[in-house]
Amino acid sequence: MPEQKDVPVVKPGDVTQRVGVEVIRRRGVDVEKLIKMLIANAAAEFASTYYYYTILRMHLAGHEDYKEICEDARLEDRAHWELIVPRIYELGGELPNDLPAFHDQAGCRAAKLPDPPTVVNTLTLLLESERCAIRSWIEICDLTIGKDPRTYDMASRILNEEIEHEAWFIELLAHERDGKTVPSGHFRRGDPGHAPYSKNAAFYNP
Amino acid sequence: MKQDADGFLVELRLPNEESIQVSSNDHIWDAAFNAGIVLPALCHQGYCLTCAGRLENPGEVDQSDSLAYFPEDREAGFVLLCTAKPRSDLRIRTHQAKQMREFRKKKSLPAPYSWSAK
Repeated sequence: MPEQKDVPVVKPGDVTQRVGVEVIRRRGVDVEKLIKMLIANAAAEFASTYYYYTILRMHLAGHEDYKEICEDARLEDRAHWELIVPRIYELGGELPNDLPAFHDQAGCRAAKLPDPPTVVNTLTLLLESERCAIRSWIEICDLTIGKDPRTYDMASRILNEEIEHEAWFIELLAHERDGKTVPSGHFRRGDPGHAPYSKNAAFYNP
Repeated sequence: MKQDADGFLVELRLPNEESIQVSSNDHIWDAAFNAGIVLPALCHQGYCLTCAGRLENPGEVDQSDSLAYFPEDREAGFVLLCTAKPRSDLRIRTHQAKQMREFRKKKSLPAPYSWSAK
C-alpha cells in the first residue's frame, strides 16, 4: 500500500473536509480560484451561449445547414454545463442562488442576437463566442494539468469541442462573408448534441 | 499630452516598471505582448476583467472596442488593457483584476470570476 504521508489528515467520518480537495490543494491547485473559474465558465456555457444560441439558431432562417451547426454547438455547450456543475460541488463550491448574479459571473459576453441579425453578423458572433470559450478552458487546463486530473480531464474534453466549434464557424463565416473555403477539417457530427468528447461518444473516425 | 509619429508613451507600472510605445491604433495589451511583456488576459474582448489596469495619472483611453465598459469604470480610472487604445501618454498600474472586480461588485455591475459562496 502506498505511503499516505502526502495526504492531509481527514478524520474518519469528517464531512467538513474532502480528501479529493485536499490532495489537489497539496499539489498546488488554488481551489478557491478554480471554483470561481469553473462557475464563470459554467455561466458562459449555460447563460452566454446555450441560452442565447437558442435564439440565434431561430434567426438563421433559410440557412438550414447553419442552423444545424449552431444547434450542435448549442447542445454541446449544454453538455458542458452539465459536466461542470457536479465538479463545482465536488470541490466544495456552489452555484449562486440567483440567476442574474450567475449570469453576471460569465467570463464571456452574452451572445445576444446581433443588430441587424444578418447571417454574417450571427456567424461572427458565434465565432467570437467560441474563441472566448477556448481561452477560458485552456486557462483551466493550465491551472490543473499534472495536479488535478479530474478537472483537467473534464476541461480538456470541453476544450476539444470548443476548438471544433471555432473551426466550424471559421469555415461558415469565410464561406458566407468572404466567398472563401477555409475547411474545418470535419465532416459531420452524429445526432444533434452528439458531444463526442464531453459525452464519451465515439469520434467520427470511419 | 505628447504625441509623436510613433504614438503615445505608455508607462506600465509592473513590479519592474516598463515603458512601451503604443500606436493609437493598437491595443495596449497587444503592444506589451509584442514587446515581450505578457500581461494577464483571458477573453481578449474587454469583458472578463482579467486584463484590468488602473490609471495612475490622468489620461485618455479609447475603450470603444470593449464589450462591457461602464462610465463608472472610466471615472474610477480602471482600464481594460486588452481592448484599450491610448489617446494620451499613460501611466498604468497593471494586475488590477481583483480591485476592478471588487469595484464592480460595489457598484452592482457585472463582475465576472468574482463569485464566492464563502
